[in-house]
Amino acid sequence: MALLKRKSKVSDEIPTASMADIAFLLLIFFLTTTVFEEEKGLPIVLPEASAMEQAVSQSNIIHFLVQVDGAVVIRRGESQAEQVVSYSEIEGIMRQEIANNPRIIAAVKTDPNSPYRHMINVLDELQKANAERVSLQLWER
Amino acid sequence: MAKKGGGFERKSKAASEIPTASMADIAFLLLIFFMVSTTFRREQPRHLAFPTAEKTQKMDEKRKNILHLWIEPNGDVYINDARVPMEQVGEVVLPLYRASERALLVSIRGDRDVPYRFVNSVTEELRSANAVRVFFHTDLESRLTRARR
Repeated sequence: MALLKRKSKVSDEIPTASMADIAFLLLIFFLTTTVFEEEKGLPIVLPEASAMEQAVSQSNIIHFLVQVDGAVVIRRGESQAEQVVSYSEIEGIMRQEIANNPRIIAAVKTDPNSPYRHMINVLDELQKANAERVSLQLWER
Repeated sequence: MAKKGGGFERKSKAASEIPTASMADIAFLLLIFFMVSTTFRREQPRHLAFPTAEKTQKMDEKRKNILHLWIEPNGDVYINDARVPMEQVGEVVLPLYRASERALLVSIRGDRDVPYRFVNSVTEELRSANAVRVFFHTDLESRLTRARR
């Protein structure tokens, strides 16, 4: 009988000393691998559907015509004179226009087949110039 | 003969070790808390390349008020992971706009190469649903990459 009572020498406890390390490692792993999706972009408020079409004096409008290849042409007011500009010039031109006439409206007319990124480039430049009155249109010819 | 140290050698009886027995519990609790409180938005991955802009800004709006609208390069429109024909975009957005108490902010996520006529149709549809607060999703552009353009 006495023989059967022999006790095992092996410890019957789970080692918990490193458990904290394991848990914190897991925690830190998930913390560092998580990427949050940011909501970012260029905000703009569209005109409401119920808004009446307002007659705007041509002298208050500056047209930015975006062509299929991304080239930008500026047409001011009534004059049919066209001026080809590069993207980097738009900000300066728009600042000038706003300084001359704070009520100026920037009408961005984009060719129906022009890639969307060209319109974004122009809109980006206009927002850099703090233009608040921006209208996005399709350029129908 | 004076004692070494003038008798100031009395040892503190308080344990000098930080109790670490419950550290594992604390860590696992934190882990479980973050796992439970994380909500995933299920969306199919769309491999679109967004346009870039220097004036890209973070939008401060509650997540539930933001509606994602995707435009694929071929003109397909997806809202909440469901394909929506172009002429029905307004009808789909209108109930969502009402449900959000007019606070809806639409994130237009168009591929950089979408022909502009599709973007224009989408904005016209959104106007018909009165969802006029929109933003064009863009990636931040640094001045360095700008110079190459």
